[in-house]
Formats: sequence, C-alpha cells, structure tokens
Amino acid sequence: MKIRTWKRMVKQGFRNLFRNRIMSLASVSAIAAALFVLGLVLAVVMNMNNMVSGLESKVEVTVFLKENIRQADIDNLDRQINSWEGISERQFISRQEALNTWKEEWGDKRYLLDGYNEENNPLPDSFRITVEKPEFVEEIVEKAKKSSMVEKVQYSKDVVDSITNIASTARVFGLMIVGVLIAMAMVIIHNTIRISVYSRRREINIMKYIGATDWYIRWPFLMEGMLLGLIGAVVSGGLIGLVYSLLEKRMSSSPAQSNLLSLFQILPLNIILYPILALFIVVGGIVGISASLLSMRKHLRV
Amino acid sequence: MIQFANVTKEYDNGLRALNDVNLAVQNGEFVFIVGPSGAGKSTLIKLLLKEIEPTSGKLFVDDVDLSQMKRRDIPFYRRNIGVVFQDFRLLSDKTVYENVAYAMEIIEASGKAIRRQVPAVLSMVGLASKANSYPSQLSGGEQQRTALARALVNNPSILLADEPTGNLDSATAADIMKIINMINHRGTTVLMATHAKEIVNTMKKRVVTFQKGVVVSDMEKGEYFFED
Ligand SMILES: Nc1ncnc2c1ncn2[C@@H]1O[C@H](COP(=O)(O)OP(=O)(O)OP(=O)(O)O)[C@@H](O)[C@H]1O
Ligand SMILES: [Mg+2]
Repeated sequence: MKIRTWKRMVKQGFRNLFRNRIMSLASVSAIAAALFVLGLVLAVVMNMNNMVSGLESKVEVTVFLKENIRQADIDNLDRQINSWEGISERQFISRQEALNTWKEEWGDKRYLLDGYNEENNPLPDSFRITVEKPEFVEEIVEKAKKSSMVEKVQYSKDVVDSITNIASTARVFGLMIVGVLIAMAMVIIHNTIRISVYSRRREINIMKYIGATDWYIRWPFLMEGMLLGLIGAVVSGGLIGLVYSLLEKRMSSSPAQSNLLSLFQILPLNIILYPILALFIVVGGIVGISASLLSMRKHLRV
Repeated sequence: MIQFANVTKEYDNGLRALNDVNLAVQNGEFVFIVGPSGAGKSTLIKLLLKEIEPTSGKLFVDDVDLSQMKRRDIPFYRRNIGVVFQDFRLLSDKTVYENVAYAMEIIEASGKAIRRQVPAVLSMVGLASKANSYPSQLSGGEQQRTALARALVNNPSILLADEPTGNLDSATAADIMKIINMINHRGTTVLMATHAKEIVNTMKKRVVTFQKGVVVSDMEKGEYFFED
C-alpha cells in the first residue's frame, strides 16, 4: 500500500475508535490494567536483579572468631587468610570496633545498647573478607571453617539466594496474573472490534461493491485495535511512572536506613521506565492487532 | 462485451431465478432489463457483480470468464463496474464529497487527483453545492446523484443500475435518467433493471424482458409491454 493509503487507514482507525468510544474506553482500561500489573512485576524483578548483582559484586565473607584468642594466633590466621586464592581484601574487626559500629548504625536508638560495655560486649572478634568473584566464596568458607579458632562463617550467598528466590517467585506469580489480565484484555478488545465491524457491516458491504479489497477494508479495524493497545500502553506507562516516582521519593527521604539498606536502594525511574514503556508498546500493539484480527473473520469476507 | 451463455441460477432453496439465459450486450449499449417482480432481474445484476455464482452456464465480461476469476481479483474487476441501487447505498458517516472520494481512495489515487476529479464529477451530476452534506441531509434524488457520481468517478466501462428510480418521483427520476443517459453517451455500457414503464417507453432503447427467469423478448427501441 502507498503511504497516503496508510495515512487514510490510521485516520479511519481513529474515527472508528471515536465512534465506538464507550467500548474503546473499556478496552483501553483493560489493556492498561494488564500492562500496569506487568509493569509492577517488572519493576520488582528489575530491582531484585539489581540487588542480587550488587551483592554479588561485593561478596563478603565474615569469619567470627571464638572468644579469648591470643593476638599471636589472630596474626597467624590473618597471614593464612591472605594466602588463600580470591581474596581481594581482609580486615580484622575487634569486638570493641564491632560494638562501636553497631552503636553508630543505630543512631538515635543507640541508648538501647548503652547497657553493653567492654566487659559484657556480646559481639565476637571477626575478619571481614572481600572476595574477588563469587566463585571463590565456597572454597574460602570451607577453609575458614577448618580453623579451630573460627566459631561461625557468614556470607552473602544466603542473602543472594533468598533474593533470587523471591524474585523468581514474584516473576512466576506476577506473570501468571499478567497472563490472565492480558487474556481478559484480548477478549474485551476482540469484542470492541467485533462490535465496530458489526455496526459497520452495511458500510463494509458497500465498500465491497465499489471494489475495496479485503485488506483495504480490514486495515482500519486493525488500526483501531492497535490504537487501543497503544493508548492502553501509554496510559499504563504513565501510571507506572507516577507510582514509581512517588515510591522513589519516599525511599530516598528516609536517610536513617541509608547505611544499612544501601544495597536496597531502588533503581532510578528513568532506568526502569524506558524499557517498561517500550515493552508496553510492543505488547499493547500486538495484543490489539491480534484481538482485532480474530474479530474480523465473519464480516470481512468478499 | 457482456455475454451470458446458458446461464442458470438456482438458489439454495431450489428456486430457479434464471433459467438457461443467453444474452449479449455490446460495448456502449444501453439495455433495459424489465419483467414482473421475481423475474430474475436483480439476480442477473448480482451475477455480473460476482456476488453470486451461476449454477450452470458461463458469464463473460470483455472475454473474461467470470467463473475462472480468482477471489482476490474480484475487487479489481468490480472497479471497472459502476453500480447504483434503489436504496442508494451511500456511506452514512461520510459527506457527499467523501463518498465519491472514497471510490478513488480505494484505487489509491493521489490526493491531487481526488481533489481534481471529485468536484468535476459532482458538478456533472449537479451536486456541487451539496459536497459537504451528509446523506441523511439529502433528498432521494440527491442521494442517487451521489451514488451515480461515485459510480462514475473512476470511469467504469460498465454501469449496472438496479431500479435506480424506484424510490423517486417521476420528475426526479427523469433527472436521474438524463445523467445515466449522459454516462452512456460517454461510452459506458449501461444495464438497467427497472419497473418504470414511462421511462422505458420514452427512451427508446433496447429492452430485454424476463419472465420467471426466462428471456421472453429482446427488442431494439423496445417497449415495456406487459402489466405487473
Ligand atoms: N438469496 C435468495 N435465496 C433464495 N431465493 C432468492 C434469493 N434471492 C432472490 N430469490 C428469488 O429468486 C427470484 C428472482 O429474484 P430477483 O430478486 O432476481 O427478482 P427481480 O426480478 O429483481 O424482482 P423485483 O422486481 O421484485 O426486484 C425470486 O423468486 C426471489 O424470491
Ligand atoms: Mg430486484
């Protein structure tokens, strides 16, 4: 088809949309709702993936020591650790330092820790080891556990694993809900186009007499379906942007947690919005076109 | 040339609307198809539009066998045939201008060609002043002129008219016949099914009379000779 014909098709698609405005509104709402949920799922999953990769990039192993270890033994262990493969940094943290950090982190609630002093400090001495790559973690943990001075070894793999689990659960359940909502949107758009086709069956017949091809008659209806999908995509993209920016504002305005939760900082809006919007437009367009393709089997045969 | 060769049309309910019809119409001819209600006139028009298929026999238009035509070629075939009906069949959401322009948009004519040709055709049928009216704002005669303008705008070689004056008073009908006659004088073959006795009798054209699906008479400068 020539460009001028495409223009005419788009124009006619808009006309159909407007003529059918109640059903159009229902369709746009349905597809927007489905895409909105899809956007929420994606935002959650993208943030969790970000957290996981953040954690993985600074994999840390913390080795807690038993009580009353002599300084000479600690120095010895420090040299041992240094010889292990994959260590990028190691830091001895005495129980006193750990207590101070703890009090600092608790900020204005530090009075709760006032009861603890050098004598009854509940925290052990520890080594904080930064590992070059996640692959080395397993081996380092094994080696550390073998030492008789070591009480307990903690590492971020647990956290990574549980976040990964949550993310994949969110993905599976979220996508199931999205699937159902998209199916519902399909049904509604399908009906909208069917009504549009049905209400224009007399016109369609006339067009055939004049010599319009099947596709010439179909395209405005496909455009109508596609426009419904695209408008739904833009609406839900706007909603996601709005909701997410509110959330972003709230998260960044609570600095008390910034130290502890620095890993859980959410991604900035523009990073998540553009891919989501692009996906919305593709999904919305495809849903709209395929729903209207389904609608035109009956009345659009020559 | 239009040619019916032993054409029989039996509808699904077993009714024989046309029975072994042989008929040839030369290019540029003007032919009235007359006969009592149910004689098969509309069936003949529908066969020519390839809206229905003959049960047996063959139809040729310009030596093309319609039964051999592929489905996807039908729209292109129809573009060569202008058609008007008793009930006008205009697109109700388009103005007079847009209805006529639509026939040109279908063939992907340029905006320039459309802007040149549509007003010319509208003034030819005497509708220049109504270009921006909607069909619902027009009289029957004006609606039929619009339909004629639309049938005319792509210069078809054949014009099919199924009782084009059926809904019009006799003065308006006479105006419409003038336009159809003018189209015929430009070289378009005209086939017109009608019940309008005075029109047939005053125009002195070829008249083919059907009765119960059979051609019962075919006369040059003929007359409408039976009573309904
Ligand atoms: N789709 C159909 N199915 C069954 N029978 C039909 C169909 N269309 C027409 N007929 C029958 O075929 C016969 C011829 O119909 P047709 O419409 O060709 O007559 P006509 O000459 O145009 O009549 P009129 O002057 O009333 O318009 C009639 O008996 C009609 O009832
Ligand atoms: Mg008839």
